[in-house]
Amino acid sequence: MDDIMKDRIEQLVDYIMKWCLWQFHSRAWDREKQNEGILTKTMQLLCEEPVDLETPADRCYWVDAVFLAKGFKNTYPWLATMDKKEIKLLMQGLKDRIDYLTIKGSLNKELTNPLY
Amino acid sequence: MPYHTFKCSECIPERAMHAVIKGPGEDLTSCLPLGYLNTIPGTISERGCAFCGAKHVIGAPMKDVIHLCHGPVGCTYDTWHTKRYISDNDNFQLKYAWATDMKEKHVVFGAEKLLKQNIIDCFKAFPNIKRMSIYQTCASALIGDDINAIAKKVMDEMPDVDIFVCNAPGFGGPSQSGGHHKINIAWVDQKVGTFEPEITSKYVINYVGDYNIQGDVEIMVDYFRRMGIQVLSTFTGNGSYDDLRGMHLAHLNVLECARSSEYICNELRKRYGIPRLDIDGFGFEPLSASLMKVAMFFGLEKEAQSIINEETARWKPELDWYAKRLKGKRICLWPGGSKLWHWAHVIEEEMGVKVVSVYSKFGHQGDFEKGVARCSEGALAIDDPNELEGLEAMEMLKPDIILTGVRPGEVSKKMRIPYLNIHAYHNGPYKGFEGWVRLARDLYNAIYSPIHQLSGVDISKDEMPTDKGFLTRRMISDVNIIEDETTPSSERPYTGECDIVSKLRGKTYPGSPIQLGSQQQLQLDSQQQLDGTV
Repeated sequence: MDDIMKDRIEQLVDYIMKWCLWQFHSRAWDREKQNEGILTKTMQLLCEEPVDLETPADRCYWVDAVFLAKGFKNTYPWLATMDKKEIKLLMQGLKDRIDYLTIKGSLNKELTNPLY
Repeated sequence: MPYHTFKCSECIPERAMHAVIKGPGEDLTSCLPLGYLNTIPGTISERGCAFCGAKHVIGAPMKDVIHLCHGPVGCTYDTWHTKRYISDNDNFQLKYAWATDMKEKHVVFGAEKLLKQNIIDCFKAFPNIKRMSIYQTCASALIGDDINAIAKKVMDEMPDVDIFVCNAPGFGGPSQSGGHHKINIAWVDQKVGTFEPEITSKYVINYVGDYNIQGDVEIMVDYFRRMGIQVLSTFTGNGSYDDLRGMHLAHLNVLECARSSEYICNELRKRYGIPRLDIDGFGFEPLSASLMKVAMFFGLEKEAQSIINEETARWKPELDWYAKRLKGKRICLWPGGSKLWHWAHVIEEEMGVKVVSVYSKFGHQGDFEKGVARCSEGALAIDDPNELEGLEAMEMLKPDIILTGVRPGEVSKKMRIPYLNIHAYHNGPYKGFEGWVRLARDLYNAIYSPIHQLSGVDISKDEMPTDKGFLTRRMISDVNIIEDETTPSSERPYTGECDIVSKLRGKTYPGSPIQLGSQQQLQLDSQQQLDGTV
């Protein structure tokens, strides 16, 4: 991954950390589902792919994804210069980074508590 | 390492990892204090107990309920009245406090008979109230009184009453947060699913984690109802006991304070498949986004946009007036739990102040993750600070104002630093668009109060000028304000009314305006959102 891509991922991370709450559910398994659900749908919206809205949970992920995609587009004009393949790479890098910050590298000792 | 050691706590090595300063390049994998651990002996913590967290914070805002403490009267007195969670039934739950008044002889011989008699006496004294919450305390827990059995006996004898039992004694957790957890789970275990409230809309939510401080809940519920959404229950501010028994019928849980009530949302998600949507009800931008997210879930974007436009047009010029005058002021954001992350970023963005510290007495590491992620570099984050650490932090950071509760607030006043009560509020509600302006107004009034010119004068030795008066707020705050043709003429100080909540009571709302959108419609909506056409 080149430095430009890394820098762009950090910008997106910063946006999520400042304006979103969904990435901080209280348990690791829950964070994995949240990160996967919302960031996948965000990628699909940015790439103009169909989004699955079958279940109430899907719709809940979707509303956060719509806001995230809109926020990214409004805040980072460089997103408009990227093609779909690049956006998918960017979003995968973002997902990996958010997973690291909120789950794998997190100092939060409660994440592995088996109860809510 | 980002950990900060207070000089006053050098003798308590266990405190070493409870405070961090967010340095350049720090992220959550390197900068996070410990949290929600047992209180360290000797630190003189200012935390509340688990009983307080269960009864005072979560249970007691329920409005149509007798809240009976099974324990010594002191536990009852200390959890009565000090938080302004008002209700639309003449504040029934605030006006009275009920206790079994356990004494030494009950500890020796048991207090179950006393409890049963008290329950019956309470229902006789308030014949129109048929619902009760009983709160266990340390004393009744330690002697092993079976409160659930007594409650069942009474319900068998009095079939028109319903009783909820909360077994969260004071020692049931490191802090009040342990009580939040216990009462959440107790409610969903005992009561959810036992009542079927009338469903009047296609769009039904529970509004969770708001305690109606000076009317916060009523402000938010007004927005939802204006969109055509039925707020089935409010957990628990201005909440009705039977409505809360019907939480399982909602389509969406809209969660405001994840610290105190994520547990019930998580359980409702697991047991009933109701999704949880975390929102920010404070600040123009986050609130607008939150209302729109709830609306989008149901396909009510136009209704939400109309409210956002109307409220922003009415109140933004007043927020801007204060933001100009608050710009650069340094604040310590020292609330209970959720405001440390609800406000950490947006108060800087929208009011121009600088958050130099965040703290929580009972927050978990998850709360500090949100707070540290949102606050700026250089901010000091402290878990469970004691009074000496608070004093040291104020001396080090030299804030212009402290946003906290009554007890640390009174300490800051002695340091000649103004404070704003953000537990019970000064002149709230602070939620909603107008509420956010009221917060800005209260910040402005506190920071620029003329009293600060007099409070530092020692009248035993300082000379008092008698030929001039003190400076007014505007004379101080407007020194550097340049008003010219570029200043929007609409900018003005707050023009709202003193009471903005009473008028919402009894207000009528239109019925459900449109049908729930199909999947295709929702897809279209999402594209329109992205395109900015909605």
